[in-house]
Amino acid sequence: MAAKIKLIDPPSSASSESDSTDKENAILNDVDVLEEEADHKNGSSTIDIITPIVAPRSSSKIINRQKMSVVNQSIKKTVSESVLTSQKRTIYTAGRPPWYNTAGQQVEPFVIGICGGSASGKTTVARLIIEELDVPWVTLLSMDSFYKGILNDEDKILAARSEYNFDHPDAFDFDLLKSTLHRLKEGKKVDVPIYNFVSHARESRTKTMYGANVVVFEGILAFHDPGVLKMLDMKIFVDTDADVRLARRLKRDIIQRGRDLDGVLKQYLKFVKPAFSHYIAPSMQHADIIVPRGGENTVAIGLIVQHVHSQLQQRGFALRESLVTLNKGQPLPGSLYILPVTPQIKGLHTFIRNKETARDEFVFYSQRLMRLVIEYALSLLPFKDVIVETPQGIPYRGKRCTADKICGVSILRAGETMEQAFSDVCKDTRIGKILIQTNRTTDEPELYYLRLPKDIKDYMVILMDATVATGAAAMMAIRVLLDHDVPEENILIVSLLMAESGVHTIAYAFPQVRIITTAVDPEINEKFYVIPGIGNFGDRYFGTEPDSSDIQRKGE
Amino acid sequence: MGSTAKMNGCDSAFLKQKFDVDAYGPNLKILRTNDQVKELQTILRDKNTSRNDFKFYADRLIRLVIEESLNQLPFTESIVTTPTGRTYKGLKYQKGNCGVSIVRSGEVMEQGLRDCCRSIRIGKILIESDAETHEAKVVYAKFPQDIAERKVLLMYPIMSTGNTAKTAVTILKEHNVLEENIILSNIFSTPASVKSLLTKFPNLTILTSELHSVAPNHFGQKYFGTD
Repeated sequence: MAAKIKLIDPPSSASSESDSTDKENAILNDVDVLEEEADHKNGSSTIDIITPIVAPRSSSKIINRQKMSVVNQSIKKTVSESVLTSQKRTIYTAGRPPWYNTAGQQVEPFVIGICGGSASGKTTVARLIIEELDVPWVTLLSMDSFYKGILNDEDKILAARSEYNFDHPDAFDFDLLKSTLHRLKEGKKVDVPIYNFVSHARESRTKTMYGANVVVFEGILAFHDPGVLKMLDMKIFVDTDADVRLARRLKRDIIQRGRDLDGVLKQYLKFVKPAFSHYIAPSMQHADIIVPRGGENTVAIGLIVQHVHSQLQQRGFALRESLVTLNKGQPLPGSLYILPVTPQIKGLHTFIRNKETARDEFVFYSQRLMRLVIEYALSLLPFKDVIVETPQGIPYRGKRCTADKICGVSILRAGETMEQAFSDVCKDTRIGKILIQTNRTTDEPELYYLRLPKDIKDYMVILMDATVATGAAAMMAIRVLLDHDVPEENILIVSLLMAESGVHTIAYAFPQVRIITTAVDPEINEKFYVIPGIGNFGDRYFGTEPDSSDIQRKGE
Repeated sequence: MGSTAKMNGCDSAFLKQKFDVDAYGPNLKILRTNDQVKELQTILRDKNTSRNDFKFYADRLIRLVIEESLNQLPFTESIVTTPTGRTYKGLKYQKGNCGVSIVRSGEVMEQGLRDCCRSIRIGKILIESDAETHEAKVVYAKFPQDIAERKVLLMYPIMSTGNTAKTAVTILKEHNVLEENIILSNIFSTPASVKSLLTKFPNLTILTSELHSVAPNHFGQKYFGTD
């Protein structure tokens, strides 16, 4: 599995545990420091996994160690790999995941708790598990989000002198942690506080998280509270030697934070070490699995993943793995409706796909195509048989649409181009907008703006986006609609062009969402454009191509 | 019971029409129907439809009929390069087409054609039936000069007897338009009108959205509000 894993550090991640704004320095490969087999004690009820020989280091595997303190982190492989291989895919860690099984039943997420001393490699283990699991939605919850923060002046003075004990259970808000985990387990939306390590206080804003197929919860005191323990389906303790952990802390705090050796050692001896002996090490007895040496222990991780897989299958999660592996050449899903191909449609495609097409023609012909695809989408609404009276005096057997409330929702920017076609065929309709942008660093979709008609749950929703490549933005938009209680079967996603993998992704995650398009292209390139595709639809339509190419000049 | 009987009558007529569609040969094309198209047709048939709605939904159905009519026009293969640098095997519409509308109801289809083909030439024919003989007579005709070399999309939404359309095709042929170059674009036709047209002009192509024994003759009046 030659995969590069890249984790993006959120700005607020600056815990005393791990602080890595500089990724280069943050690379702390376990293999560098670990050669010995860990010696650890464990309770009789735990399973101990020990690999006698250290696995050879894979040169292609570079793991940037970073703290997963809040959500919205992603695991992404190198873009050069083909998107259609099972390894090339994106795991979403924000937003509402599809926690329905194929029968449409809600399934309780599988919660994995990862505990271990400071700098023991919990994050690496968490990341590797998620990576290997290959499930579409994973929510990462870190204990760091539940720091109470510096609340009074006394604490402030302590903190200033590095004498505030961040490693003591009292530093955490366990009540909030419990209620958050509980809601996540029910698949509900939660607002997770964002802890600011500079001001040592909770920020006014929160991070919205949703239940997922798998929820990974990690922290130094993950096993401290009995109430939390009860909610964990699998408990993993990452056991790394104390000297290794100290070495990592020293390296991190001195090199990256410019602290002096005495100060770091003082903090370690005064708080970190006692906390480990008093609270963390004893909690090892609750573990189901103890992983020595952290993320480098591939055998342990392999076994854990196997177990979680079988658990998920028992719970009725259809894992995405098989789909992603096989989606090329797989039959297209039944929820996909492709506008029947006619010479006109093929001709319209020829115009809008041709890079030489000037903008006015591009706009004109794409609008024609939009009109046709919207008309086609409306034909999928529910209808009933009716008999009407005609001026000619004979009754006429016809059809009437039974959906009295229809609204359009466009995914900005490209989806907006379809609003006109929608208004042209639907009288007096409401149109909502969702702005989803791709994060340039992570290539992940991010939700920026949202305006939806009131009571959207009562509407049939025509979700519009001009092109669907990976389906990531579409999935996010669908999730937003589901969050607003729009029934899944009331959502129709309409676009001009889709990539096969995007179709599979949406159909897999939301089998009841109907997918309507005018063509499905087989591939996606490394820029996530559909191949052969139409390029960046929004740029071509609005004339905002980055370079002054021929297309732009011709379009003026 | 009365209405049930009527309904059954409709049913059998419907089935018979369906059967008959094949009998007209390949030159009769029917718009691919779905619930949506059926609803548009229903709204246009319903006597309780407001004028505002009528026009709106008629325009929608016309747009679909026009799009489908354009599919009857010739094209050539065309391979283009997409912005991603790949090739796309598409096709290119051939030039040399024009529209001809039969005044007045045919004119309602002009906008739909214009919306699809921005700069297409459109000719007009005005045909009136003689009050005494009921014979259709051409009162006015204005065509593009080179119409003989063109494919002609003849627009006429409602066909009851087919007499008007027959006269229009005749006048086009008098202008040296080839019969096989004429596509009659239509919304509602009666089986009789189609039969009589295709019998007289076997090479003519007719595209309609519905074959039904009763034509909605109120169409033009309701659309223009002159009822």
